[in-house]
Amino acid sequence: MLMALLVAGSIVMIVPLVWMLSTSFDWSARLEIGFPPRFWPEEPSLKNYQAAFTNVPMLKYIFNSLVVGAGVIVVSVISALLSGYALSKIRFRGSNLVLVMALSTIMIPFEMTMIPQFLLFSKLHLTDSYVAFYLPALNYAFGTFLAKAFFDQLPSSLREAGVIDGAHEFTVFGKIYFPLCTPVVATLVILLFLGVWNDLLWPLLVLKSASKFTIQLGLAMFTYNSGINRFPSIIMAATMVSLVPVILVYLFLQRYIIESIALTGIKQ
Amino acid sequence: MKPASSPAVRTIRRKKWIGRNDLMGFAFVSPLVAGILAFAVYPMVSALYLSFQQTSGASLAGKWVGLSNYNYVFNDPIFWKSLYNTFYMGVLSVVFGIFVSFVLASMINSLKGTRSKNLFKGIYFLPNVVSAVASTLLFSFLFFPTNQGLLNFVLGLFHIPPVGWFTDPKFSRISIVLMSMWGALGYNTIIFIAGLQSVPRDLYEAAEVDGANGLRKWRHITIPYMRPIFVFMIVLGTIGSMKRFTDVWLIGGTAGNPGGTLLTSVLYIYRNAFLAGQMGLATAASYLLFLVILIMTVLMLKLNRKKDSFD
Repeated sequence: MLMALLVAGSIVMIVPLVWMLSTSFDWSARLEIGFPPRFWPEEPSLKNYQAAFTNVPMLKYIFNSLVVGAGVIVVSVISALLSGYALSKIRFRGSNLVLVMALSTIMIPFEMTMIPQFLLFSKLHLTDSYVAFYLPALNYAFGTFLAKAFFDQLPSSLREAGVIDGAHEFTVFGKIYFPLCTPVVATLVILLFLGVWNDLLWPLLVLKSASKFTIQLGLAMFTYNSGINRFPSIIMAATMVSLVPVILVYLFLQRYIIESIALTGIKQ
Repeated sequence: MKPASSPAVRTIRRKKWIGRNDLMGFAFVSPLVAGILAFAVYPMVSALYLSFQQTSGASLAGKWVGLSNYNYVFNDPIFWKSLYNTFYMGVLSVVFGIFVSFVLASMINSLKGTRSKNLFKGIYFLPNVVSAVASTLLFSFLFFPTNQGLLNFVLGLFHIPPVGWFTDPKFSRISIVLMSMWGALGYNTIIFIAGLQSVPRDLYEAAEVDGANGLRKWRHITIPYMRPIFVFMIVLGTIGSMKRFTDVWLIGGTAGNPGGTLLTSVLYIYRNAFLAGQMGLATAASYLLFLVILIMTVLMLKLNRKKDSFD
């Protein structure tokens, strides 16, 4: 009984994706969804994907998203690790102030600050540039807390020994602690990648030229301009392509993702 | 640390240490602090300043108009409509979402094998990695208003006439809730499962000695024990649903079609700022929205603390 319910629920969760996959290969559904609904393409072909790639510069968009994602990940992870380390291991004057500042700003919704941020970047002539993604990535207080909690579990004696031997703080961090950080870095990278890859609102505000669009913005603009209910199988093919990276990440890192969600409770 | 021979030496060394520490500490937190100042503190202050200005276009050169932006927003029926729509969808998705995912989490958690547990966790979580854009595109066909849509086809098997899920103002908001539940269910479930595993086993054992059955244990031990997690989920879900934008924008455009039912608060802010060029008005609206979120969060946390009896 329990099992039957869970299996039925699983089918409800999976069927939409299966339906999309099959429709994306069905050339007969390019103008209208097939009737009755089917889970095997009536006219199996790769033409939808061909049409998607010729009408929407998918590869360009994917490449752009990867560039944006890589930059944001590097900036955010460095900022989070350095500050997490300082707040946990270097107990300096003012560290409480920094903690309070980070805590009180973490709850500010992005939607609240997006207009001044947009105006700031347009004043600096940095809209339509990925700098508008990299700079705000410095403010990743959530990652700081995660990193701090991680460093709290590592012994402080390693640092004390190093400092007494005259090692520079950056050397202690880089040579002793950083190599131990793989688990927390993995968590941060996964959460950041999913967040950046799936984001639409900020790219919609700052990116103007189509050659710089991220994958979500490209996909959204294509359907927004051509009508959301038109070209079903072509749109589904394009959507499938946009899902490939996240599905791959999910398949290989599923356990990590689920563990880090359960651990952190907050998705960025 | 090497033992210092005399107290005097120790104090000197400690003083030096503090200076070095402070400097290093500042250096290490400076990226974060710069980020917070530039992209959280400055925008909040700047938004407050801007909300008292009348601006045109993207230029910041506006003129001081006092509270008139707030006045305008307060008397704008469209603002209230957008807030109503946002609440309507928010309450439904939080209530249904938490109920269903808690039941689901309890069911998965009561399975015996670790492998089947992990399998179901994996399946139910999968839609969570699908972006809002992708799931909106998918559901615009799944919820197609004719029998060609998968959902209407299934309903047709039970002789229910096709429903205009995203085109009928009566159903559009419910459809958005259903769609976002598909995406968010697994996420909530994972957190609930983690919570369920933290309930101490001896509570259950004591209840069993007293002859409680499964359902009563669930009702009297599990649910009270999980209350902080419920509150956490409600707060998080409420904040999240107040920020709804991507799906409603893709389906209803900036008008929030059909019939303005999908016009949310963030959409209201977006169209005032970026279509009408009324940055001052938009920031005033965003401050009001922020206040609403803040008040609700504080209220919910207060309510939780008051009833805190299970510890």
